[in-house]
Amino acid sequence: MGPYLTRRILLAIPTVLGVLIAVFLLIRLVPGDVVTQLVGLEASISPKRVEELRRLFGLNRSLPVQFGEYLSGVLRGEMGKSLRTGLPVGKELLRRFPVTIQLASMGLLAALLIGVPVGIMAAVRRGRAPDYVATGFVLLGLSVPSFWLAILLILFFALRLGWFPPGAYVSPAEDLTGNLARMILPAFSVGLVLAAAITRIVRSSLLEVLSRHYIRTARAKGLRESIVVIKHALRNALIPVVTVVGLQFGTLLGGTVIIEQIFSLPGIGRYALEGINLRDYPVIQGAVLAIAMSFVIVNLLVDLAYGFLDPRIRYE
Amino acid sequence: MRRGLISAVVAMLLLLTGQQITDAQGGPRYGGTLRAGMQTDPVGLDPHLSTATATRNMMENVFDTLVMVSSEGRYAPGLAESWTVSADGITWTFALRRNVKFHNGRPMTAADVVYSINRIRDPSTKSPRAPDFAEVDAISSPGPYTVVIKLKRPLSPLLAKLSLSLNVIVPKEIIERDGDLNANPVGTGPFRFVGYTPQQRLTLVRSGDYWEHDQNGRRLPYLDRIEFVFLPDAVARATALRGGSVDWIEYVPAAEVKSLQADRNIEVVGGLSANFRALYINNSRAPFNNVKVRQAMAYAINKKEIVDTALFGAGGIVATGAVIPPGNYFAVTRSPYNSVDVDRAKRLLAEAGHPNGFEADLYVTSTYDFLRTPAEIIQAQLGRVGIRLRITAADWSVYLPTMFQKQYSLSILGTSGQSDPDDFLYGNFHTSGGLNLVNYSDPAFDRLIDQGRAVVGDAQRKRIYEQAQQRLLETVPMVFLYHSTQYEAVRRNVRGFEHWPNTSYLGLRRTWMAP
Repeated sequence: MGPYLTRRILLAIPTVLGVLIAVFLLIRLVPGDVVTQLVGLEASISPKRVEELRRLFGLNRSLPVQFGEYLSGVLRGEMGKSLRTGLPVGKELLRRFPVTIQLASMGLLAALLIGVPVGIMAAVRRGRAPDYVATGFVLLGLSVPSFWLAILLILFFALRLGWFPPGAYVSPAEDLTGNLARMILPAFSVGLVLAAAITRIVRSSLLEVLSRHYIRTARAKGLRESIVVIKHALRNALIPVVTVVGLQFGTLLGGTVIIEQIFSLPGIGRYALEGINLRDYPVIQGAVLAIAMSFVIVNLLVDLAYGFLDPRIRYE
Repeated sequence: MRRGLISAVVAMLLLLTGQQITDAQGGPRYGGTLRAGMQTDPVGLDPHLSTATATRNMMENVFDTLVMVSSEGRYAPGLAESWTVSADGITWTFALRRNVKFHNGRPMTAADVVYSINRIRDPSTKSPRAPDFAEVDAISSPGPYTVVIKLKRPLSPLLAKLSLSLNVIVPKEIIERDGDLNANPVGTGPFRFVGYTPQQRLTLVRSGDYWEHDQNGRRLPYLDRIEFVFLPDAVARATALRGGSVDWIEYVPAAEVKSLQADRNIEVVGGLSANFRALYINNSRAPFNNVKVRQAMAYAINKKEIVDTALFGAGGIVATGAVIPPGNYFAVTRSPYNSVDVDRAKRLLAEAGHPNGFEADLYVTSTYDFLRTPAEIIQAQLGRVGIRLRITAADWSVYLPTMFQKQYSLSILGTSGQSDPDDFLYGNFHTSGGLNLVNYSDPAFDRLIDQGRAVVGDAQRKRIYEQAQQRLLETVPMVFLYHSTQYEAVRRNVRGFEHWPNTSYLGLRRTWMAP
């Protein structure tokens, strides 16, 4: 286990470095920089002034110089400062990550609570009404765009029924119930797609396991069906589920941009989006680095979870 | 007929009682928290270090300017109670208001004004507003309540620069301690800054000893507290207002205006906004170097059709004059091009040697819908007189540098954020204007604009600027199309909020909450 972990962590270093270089170059290939975005339609800024601003932002220096400076900062644990607000990127990331983690976790929880039971039901009642309902749900869940669902949820639950307050984010430290009330709709918006994916994988994986010989044996020795399904079949069916859930959770940690935007959540996705819109290089670099690192960590955790589920899997 | 009369009487009675109810309530009430839904975060909290409208709008009620500008664009006293200017237009003397305090309790004096303007001018501050005071030679304080600004040459728009609510008066000691005002924006304004959590909330509370009073002699502001929350998505912002979790929102999109107006709990405010959008014509490229061709285009274009179809009606106000929007004190509101005249356009084209028209490129940006969607309509309208347009669109980040290099024939563009006629006219049209992207150069126009800078006094300036706008309509450096609108929306219990065409939220100083 120990050597395995060390090897995985060492392998993560070139991955992260690759991401750093790719992001650094890619965002500079995109036309425009912070100055063009800043200028907008402002009346009083002339082309001459634009050049001057570019110099003030240090954007006229060569790329290797800029990258060297950035890399040495990252190695010292400094992510730089936002070109627009002057706020340190590292500190901002630490403030925003909890919001995204909460959204991703609540979304995942919602997805598991829906996806696993529906998937089991579909597999056990294969070819009958519950199965068709579940398959319909999968089709719907995977096809509905989450941003559209989010707007519908707001209009119906927040505006029509008034169950949840629309509008600004409240941190759990300020007001825990208020925070939870505001997070339910966003969590459901991201969770529904994931729930559909989980339903599908639970169903197919469970069907496969249920056709195995040891299940026939278990039934033959007179065990109740519920024990057969939950205790004997489900655990073995969970390995592909964990893979999917793990990858999806990684995606949620970086990919909830639209949901964060619609629900005004100050998470990492919105931070990255704001950075991209303003061509705020340090912000984009920092956000992508954080997202890449969380993906690497989640992947590692998923690999470790296999051993927990199936003791035959060994790490060396 | 009789029924009509009765309902008219009933309506009048209702109006009268309605009036009485408001009177019985006794006008503005003190107290309450206004929750305001904002589109974007401020870009830093130090007004001297930002060009962002968001920073200006959230901080302008924390700070004060020396001179203020009214909602119709006229100058009014701010921290300066009065001012005089020497006969040669070079020396401006401002008499300051007494008993004004910063939020840290220290009285504001002339030294603070001198410090603030010099901070903006100082290159090491890197203030984007430094060019505003490029014509200032020296600024001094001969007494604790007197400030003297000496200019290099006469410049009446100095008042516009001084009234811009990013050019505010700040306390020296906070900047000397913290380096800037980003953490502690301390001003003399009606509201005191309490705290800011990015992408969540910025809070202001009523400052107890703000100097300004309403017409009944009551102290301003009325609100106890303003909480700006950040709701970047336009639909979410409108929903939050409908659901009542905010009381006031900014930037209502044109497509939402009608549905919000239909909601009886909500009032949509505003419309008029200080900007212009025009068909930019590269005046030095053939065939556009011929004034007749440009006039022909102006006669052929139907501005109302553009606003009605491309902007859903609500997104713009037709440009009935020249560059300055209607409603502004200095605006010209008549133009020969307010009714379409295809025959005249064709005749002018024939006189210019293009009886069968010509082909031309229209280069637009795809980033802003309001600058993109008029393109096809203009194409169709000019097609009727034989001008065949090819449209190409580019992202803003590619488009703007191309425009700055003037590598285009025709485009749709305009600028925003002006307050003074000089802002509209100098930069965009003067031969040496920094944003003269149309290569316009007209000695008669330049003379008028130079003269306008040397003259003080609204009435006199108005006469000069009217002539200058007339000149623009004759020579057609661009075809003025429309002025983009900007709307705020409030819940019905929010009273007294006035929309400012220069998109400032100074109206919050007199806003109050009904029970």
